[in-house]
Amino acid sequence: MAAPLADAFDRALRPSSPWGDAWRRLRRNRMALASLAVLGLFALLTLAAPILPLHPYAEQVIAHVNLPPSFRPAGETLLEARTAYLDQVRRAEDRPGFSPAEQAELASLAQAIHTDPVHRRRYLLGTDDLGRDLLSRMLYGGRISILIGLVGTLTSMLLGVALGGIAGYLGGWVDGLIMRCVDILFGLPYMLVVIILMALFGRNILNLFAAVALISWLTLCRVVRGQIISLKHAEFVEAARAMGAGPFRIIFRHLTPNTLGVIVVFSTLMVPQFIMAESFLSFLGLGVSAPLASWGSLVAQGAAVMELYPWQLLAPAAAMTVFLFAMNFLGDGLRDALDPQSQRRA
Amino acid sequence: MSEPLLEVSGLKLHFPLRHGVLRAVDGVDFRIGPGETLGLVGESGCGKSSTARAVAQLHRPTAGRVLLKGRDLVQLRGRELIAARRDMQMVFQDPYASLDPRMTAGDLIAEPLRIYRTRGLLALSRPEQEARVAALMDRVGLSSRFRNRYPHEFSGGQRQRIGLARALALQPALLLCDEPVSALDVSIQAQILNLFKDLQAEFGLAYLFIAHDLAVVQYVASRVAVMYLGRIAEQAPAAELYRNPLHPYTQALLSAAPIPDPQVERTRQRIILSGDVPRADRAAVGCPFADRCWRRMEVCRVQTPRLQEAGPGHQVACFLHHPAEGTP
Amino acid sequence: MAGDILLEVQDLNIRFDTAEGVVKAVDGVSFRLHRGETLGLVGESGSGKSVTSLSLLNLVPPPGRVSGRILFHGRDILAMPGNELRRLRGDRIAMIFQDPMTSLNPFLRIGTQLAETLRLHQGLGRRAARDRAVELLRACGIQDAARRIDQYPHQFSGGMRQRVMIAQGLSCGPEILIADEPTSALDVTIQAQILELVKELTRSLGTAVILITHDLGVVAGTCDSLCVMYAGRIVERGPTTAVFQDPLHPYTQGLIASVPRLDRPGTGRLAAIPGQPPSGIGLPECCPFHPRCDRAMEPCRARRPPETGAGHSAACWLYPEAP
Repeated sequence: MAAPLADAFDRALRPSSPWGDAWRRLRRNRMALASLAVLGLFALLTLAAPILPLHPYAEQVIAHVNLPPSFRPAGETLLEARTAYLDQVRRAEDRPGFSPAEQAELASLAQAIHTDPVHRRRYLLGTDDLGRDLLSRMLYGGRISILIGLVGTLTSMLLGVALGGIAGYLGGWVDGLIMRCVDILFGLPYMLVVIILMALFGRNILNLFAAVALISWLTLCRVVRGQIISLKHAEFVEAARAMGAGPFRIIFRHLTPNTLGVIVVFSTLMVPQFIMAESFLSFLGLGVSAPLASWGSLVAQGAAVMELYPWQLLAPAAAMTVFLFAMNFLGDGLRDALDPQSQRRA
Repeated sequence: MSEPLLEVSGLKLHFPLRHGVLRAVDGVDFRIGPGETLGLVGESGCGKSSTARAVAQLHRPTAGRVLLKGRDLVQLRGRELIAARRDMQMVFQDPYASLDPRMTAGDLIAEPLRIYRTRGLLALSRPEQEARVAALMDRVGLSSRFRNRYPHEFSGGQRQRIGLARALALQPALLLCDEPVSALDVSIQAQILNLFKDLQAEFGLAYLFIAHDLAVVQYVASRVAVMYLGRIAEQAPAAELYRNPLHPYTQALLSAAPIPDPQVERTRQRIILSGDVPRADRAAVGCPFADRCWRRMEVCRVQTPRLQEAGPGHQVACFLHHPAEGTP
Repeated sequence: MAGDILLEVQDLNIRFDTAEGVVKAVDGVSFRLHRGETLGLVGESGSGKSVTSLSLLNLVPPPGRVSGRILFHGRDILAMPGNELRRLRGDRIAMIFQDPMTSLNPFLRIGTQLAETLRLHQGLGRRAARDRAVELLRACGIQDAARRIDQYPHQFSGGMRQRVMIAQGLSCGPEILIADEPTSALDVTIQAQILELVKELTRSLGTAVILITHDLGVVAGTCDSLCVMYAGRIVERGPTTAVFQDPLHPYTQGLIASVPRLDRPGTGRLAAIPGQPPSGIGLPECCPFHPRCDRAMEPCRARRPPETGAGHSAACWLYPEAP
């Protein structure tokens, strides 16, 4: 390749592609970049969960129920908590010191702590009411929640783009048929349908995915159809038809790439919706079943005991909130970066 | 003339409206021989763009025949139509809208090749296609080093060159050019017009050249047809039309066109038409130009004049030059 | 046109900050408008003519930054406070644009929009404003004005909407009418009508006109004098007849030679100017036309040529002193 291209005034002609320009615009948006970093971190941690040195998320340690978050070994925390409790009882009963029974109990506890390796565990985010490590439950729960968000978004993209594209481009009875289906499905009370489906087909993860995918594609289908309708009269589409391009080529080679901006933005903003939907289901007790966790189910459990053990609610809620915030900021940033208004005209 | 390349007869393109019919093209006949340029002029609503689209089969004509190298395109469908249409490609008006903004220049120019290859109508391999694209870019005056650039990185004139290269990819015999220079700056227009002429000389191309600027059409066309409300009002060799316009509308058009010369402008006699360019959904009774014609007669409102010979190669649809039915 | 000077633009500079750099849309433009004169600002896209006309009423939108002075009766328009500027616009200086569909509010009746200007600037009551509006529409050639005044813009054709714009522009008898490509979107027969109308009305009212256009034919037919703009600068100016008969600047020469002419049937080639107009970002110090000029010399690449000549002048190193 020869020297870089320059114009008549020797000013360099930097190449600029639609995606390259969009990425450059996105890079200038600090919130979006920060969000991207945060999301990347989440992705990394949840993906890597199986190989990280975590405590097994389903293992119940009865001795360790409801421990608070701490950097210190569980045993110490346990001993401290027990001591504090007994001390409270002593003061309430107005005794000067521990009774021999209590002292023996504390001594045997201290003994157990030194011998049983399980007490050397550190629970960075504490434990729940069955003695399960909250940190690993959060990470594994994150896998489920994020997976649900992604699966829902992917199915909606595939179904929504394909059906919306076909409906928008072909028009006529095909459009009518597809849109009436969409209208009917839109009219169904979503939660009710999901509950019925789960009741009929059982509460497992696959059915959850299926239920979510059923409804997910509707909005995107409408949005894509609208975009395609406005684009299909563009002169470059006419040019393609004049060249002999068939509907398939026009929809997927010309119209869809020009709609990609809208699709990407929409999809980014749909992921939070699916996660919220799942968490709502879990709250109702219809989400994932034990021993699996999702952020939603963790929040549900935490909410039940939030006055006594606030961290059991705060930790998963914070994780979910940060993730959703980051997704939304990224979606906003993407919308600005992909905005066709700001594409230059030579 | 020898066997015409394109022969259009009785072309009609009607769109149904809620009340009535939009007669975009209402009975148009013309011929283009190999290597010839027919200029089609008229103002907005006259149907010149619709004519091009009807000829290209982008809109299916309501009636009429479009014979390209002897085959009637109106009767063909699907793959047969695409195969037959290979010899007729289109160049569009808006350089900003006629190129897919997500495709590179190279991809845009190669697209017809890819489409025809997929349909088994072209036997060029990928490297051969690439070579042709590079050659085309050079021929239209664009460096092939720009083949990976996107449309927004080019100026209007350069984009129109890309459009031209794309239209030439399949080596057609005829180009339908829909106002190809109207959206360009004056100094660029001249470059592109020269390019059109050069390409015609080199490849023996025929053009259907549509424009609203009479001076531009005069420069490129060997014959000119003037359209008004879906019909051809007058058709003649270019020099003849400009020297001796017979139809009142042609006279008004020529009179209204500004000339870049203050001496001429200040001394010329202008014909100023009254009223507006009418819309094509009016009822079709009488001469379409009767409302604005300063030389109209009674018969003009009642009968529709047909296009008839008024001189060698010169046809006009006007009762001033042909007696109406029933007159001695 | 020995009239007194109505408007004086001094060293106008308009810059836009974009992501790719600073665009100098207008780079040191000065000109004068005399009473009753029709001045043409001629140029192609990117020449800066449209944004110059916007700046005359201080209408340049951000991120544009305007500097320089625009003197109207001795007062600098760019330094005027808001309420004085509002009194000026539409009343003393009026403007009409290229696309009448976007300049007219599609939700309001024509009468309402016309009357708005009249009531604002001349303090007329509703009845009086409506009557005056009907009069204006008639004067601008709209038949059946009394009935049509209650219609909406979409019920008018392009040419008629432009007549409405002219009526609105001239409704308060302004001293200056700025017309930004008023006929570019119109058919040629309608264009002829509209230009005739503008000429007639401005002559009878004594209004000075600044006509912005890219069409040399329109300039030749309507303007007394013209300024040719290129890359944000004026490269040639003078009386219309002088500029067309004896164009000094190579760009003007190229422009005139490259337009196909109806009255001169020619075969062969049009004398086209090679290359394209530059983008205004990071333009080095030089004559902006030099890459396209067949007579470019050393100084053209290095320094900006000053404008030389009186009456008919050009900014070109071919004329280092008055031509």
